Amino acid sequence: MMNDPQFVEVENMYFSRGEKEIFRGVDMHIPRGKITAIMGPSGSGKTTLLKLIGGQLYPDAGRVEIDGLDVHRLKRRELFRLRRRMGMLFQSGALFSDLSVFENVAFPLRVHTDLPEAMIRDVVLMKLEAVGLRGARNLMPAELSGGMLRRVALARAIALDPELILYDEPFVGQDPISMGVLVQLIKKVNQALGLTAVIVSHDIKETMSIADYVYVLSDGKVMAHGTPANLNVDRDPQVSQFMHGEPDGPVPFHYPAPDYYSDILNQGARQ
Amino acid sequence: MIKQRITSLGRSTLDTFESLGRATIFLFQASVGIPGKEGFHLWLRQMHFIGVMSLAIVLVSGLFIGMVLGLQGYTILVDFGAEDALGQMVSLSLLRELAPVVAALLFAGRAGSALTAEIGLMKATEQLSSMEMIGVDPLRRVVAPRLWAGFVSLPLLTIGFSVVGIWGGYLVGVDWLGVNEGSYWSNMQASVSFIDDVGNGLIKALVFALVVTWIAVFQGYDLVPTSEGISRATTRTVVYSSLAVLGLDFVLTTLMFGEL
Repeated sequence: MMNDPQFVEVENMYFSRGEKEIFRGVDMHIPRGKITAIMGPSGSGKTTLLKLIGGQLYPDAGRVEIDGLDVHRLKRRELFRLRRRMGMLFQSGALFSDLSVFENVAFPLRVHTDLPEAMIRDVVLMKLEAVGLRGARNLMPAELSGGMLRRVALARAIALDPELILYDEPFVGQDPISMGVLVQLIKKVNQALGLTAVIVSHDIKETMSIADYVYVLSDGKVMAHGTPANLNVDRDPQVSQFMHGEPDGPVPFHYPAPDYYSDILNQGARQ
Repeated sequence: MIKQRITSLGRSTLDTFESLGRATIFLFQASVGIPGKEGFHLWLRQMHFIGVMSLAIVLVSGLFIGMVLGLQGYTILVDFGAEDALGQMVSLSLLRELAPVVAALLFAGRAGSALTAEIGLMKATEQLSSMEMIGVDPLRRVVAPRLWAGFVSLPLLTIGFSVVGIWGGYLVGVDWLGVNEGSYWSNMQASVSFIDDVGNGLIKALVFALVVTWIAVFQGYDLVPTSEGISRATTRTVVYSSLAVLGLDFVLTTLMFGEL
């Protein structure tokens, strides 16, 4: 299994929520030890994809394999065992609001290992040092800024030295400085620990600067994939609209609506 | 038109049964907590939040209800010259009906709504998801201690409610209105059966505890994670638990005290 360069395989996956089809046959290969970015416009189901990979949602058809294990066929207990090998960084940080920064990072260690207290302290301080927040260990999550929250969450996600880490919109709503800090940290964590990273984002510039490989989602399918350099020069109008942030193009500016003039002139209508 | 109504009736029936099924599976999955010392500590903390923090409202209400019972009972009984039976009246009304029902209603408002809102907020801020991704089952770590704390604390609160209520009846009946102290207590002792009255009252309290806590944690876990969803679920917790308590009380009373 170690020779297999793919760590996560998504095969022909279908998923719908209510009437809305979110994925219609998605195929992805996420290589071991690399940073893979999944990009796409808002509402293209990027976060849903991470939840499908993490086994929190079940696809209607198709499979997700992590390191050769079919995530959605595992028993509840086996699934939780597999999750110990993954870390996930949530968009909101999702720190436990009743625990301090130190206890948040210590949480995975306490529940999954029998390490003595002194060693837990060492590991937690090492992880906090890596994200530059060793001095903030006694603060509560409510006292942290958005960027600090995400860095603590990153420290917690890498507390157990996972093999796979999933980032959900890590750059959204960050000021330029903490954005830069996070970009560097993600890169550094990936190189230092040699782990496989999946980043879901629509911040093109930041994501392209650290990704090794990029998938672009649209309309429930993979619209394009390739290395950042290849995608930047892609001539496909849809890809180029997204990559260069043009307001109108194959992805229309307007939400589907009846013809503008007849809509305006339709005086009898109430709305 | 008619076809549409039949369709929507069918759909809402199916939805109801589906969520009942989900709630049942949920109850079984959440009934086993984390074993050992850690699980005990988690449970103890919830006992504090759910049980101890509800103590004040339950005891104060119990006192007032007991005092009102003493006053109302006296004005009626004294017309028949039967004010000596006040102790019996106060204690039986409290033990059989008022303590389990009123304590459960207060518990739903005080602890149930807080449980729903707390779990709902944990869901909305992705704390439950992140716990799952860390490899910890939130049903066992978050829900189970709360479920068990509610199940244990409401019967204890009900006992406290009865005790304080009987004391309140005593304050008004004996200290204020002048009922003979000896007959207040001895009438009570002669007429209250431990198994039939105290025991059945406790069974009611256990059933209400299960139902109220179950509704509260399930509404929190199952809600739509938005601010509107949390407010709706909190309301539903109070409405559903109150209706369930009152409805079940009638059923249980029929089974326990129905054969005349």
